[in-house]
Amino acid sequence: MSLQNTTTPDDLIRDISGLVTLPDVYLRINRLIDDPKSTRADIARAINQDASFTVKLLKLANSAVYNFPSTVDSVTKAVTIIGTAQVRNLALSLSVANSFAGLPNDLVSMRNFWKHSLLCALCARRLCKVARRCDADALFTAGLLHDIGELIIFNRLPEEARAALMLVLVSQEEITVSDAEMETMGFDHSVVGGTLAQKWNLPPMLQECIAHHHHPSQAEKFPREVAIIHIANTLAQLAEVDSLELDDAPAIDPLAWEVTGLDSEVIEETVKSTQTEFDEIEQLFLGQ
Amino acid sequence: MALISSQAKPTLQPCLPGFEHVRRSWNAQFESYAARILPGEFYVTKNKEGVATTLGSCISACIRDKVFGIGGMNHFMLPTTEVSDLASLKASNLSEATRYGNYAMEHLINEIMRNGGRRQNLEVKLFGGGRIMSNMTDVGLANITFVRDYLAMENLSVVAEDVGDIFPRMIMYFPATGMTKVKRLRSLHNNTIVDEERRYVDSIKKQPVSGDIELF
Repeated sequence: MSLQNTTTPDDLIRDISGLVTLPDVYLRINRLIDDPKSTRADIARAINQDASFTVKLLKLANSAVYNFPSTVDSVTKAVTIIGTAQVRNLALSLSVANSFAGLPNDLVSMRNFWKHSLLCALCARRLCKVARRCDADALFTAGLLHDIGELIIFNRLPEEARAALMLVLVSQEEITVSDAEMETMGFDHSVVGGTLAQKWNLPPMLQECIAHHHHPSQAEKFPREVAIIHIANTLAQLAEVDSLELDDAPAIDPLAWEVTGLDSEVIEETVKSTQTEFDEIEQLFLGQ
Repeated sequence: MALISSQAKPTLQPCLPGFEHVRRSWNAQFESYAARILPGEFYVTKNKEGVATTLGSCISACIRDKVFGIGGMNHFMLPTTEVSDLASLKASNLSEATRYGNYAMEHLINEIMRNGGRRQNLEVKLFGGGRIMSNMTDVGLANITFVRDYLAMENLSVVAEDVGDIFPRMIMYFPATGMTKVKRLRSLHNNTIVDEERRYVDSIKKQPVSGDIELF
């Protein structure tokens, strides 16, 4: 394919800098949490300024995902129960989807895009609980944001992106979307997403999960987390097409099983419970 | 991705006359050549090769003579987007809409018979007809309804099917053995597939409808 494309991931990120920005509510919460003098009341106040985030936070805190025994009816209570670190994750998760609404495309509906992301987030959270020794809520956020580079490519390089998707459909060899993007553009959505995550100064673990979810061997400081997102990405695709056969989704790198200490026994339970959870919290993330 | 195999790739057998335009290439996964058909096309073979396609709301009938191993696949849809139940389909535009479906089915069956297949040996499998755009009329269902009705009238029974639901599908069919591999595709591919199917429907809508013209 001779698309004389000289655009680099850095160019793409520069192009969208005016269109997509990290939401204020996340930046405010982030600053307060990092400030040792701030109190939970300060954080709750910052959240309360954003009505839509407040509603979503309370709904999520009361959903089966958290499974608290009593009703969480105020932001202060939510912050106390969920914990400030998790609130930071949720602020990032819940508001980033909105910010990307400014980057429309003709290749995938936002609903279908976020459906895969949310399935991946739920799978990652569940895998984390089985694997232990990792932060399930941070991994949820990583799952939600892992393909964010795709929205940038679809918006900025629609022709190349369409050619890549066609390549996946017509190729005799089973190739992944990531491989097809490498062939048509010379880089894939994980590189673009990783570049954005770095630019936005997202937590380093998130940066690595976004940048390396197709190639867990390239992980540097967070191999377990990257491996979990790598496995979760495949299981999310199985959940989407309602299958338990690994042939129906991109192959899982054996290294990812090794690094996490997980094995294929987790597949069925993870896929099935993720499908159930998805039905419950879909509205929260994909509604509106 | 060159697979180093101790056995050399077999040479590509000639296709039946009339199918020279269909692209065929080697598939390492199935260790076989496979023809890939596009919306509106069909392919019949006597060789031990596969026939592959990608379906959104379109339908593929996979038909073969199970004794002689001659068979093939079509890929079509009815050029209607308004009705999804057969009764109103028949009432409104039997001659228009279903004509394309009849052509696709007849051509496939006739071509199999012309190459030595026998009617009493025919084995049918059905795939596709997914509702892959939630905001559209269920075109997939109209296609499924049509093809089931057609087969019932022709007295041909379906031995296996994977139709409807919300997924696009990738199909690989081997007429010599009847083996089929269906892979459901994630929604990331929906728009690309819908665009291609829409182009095909637009093209058949522009064709004059006449009994003698080969439309596929």
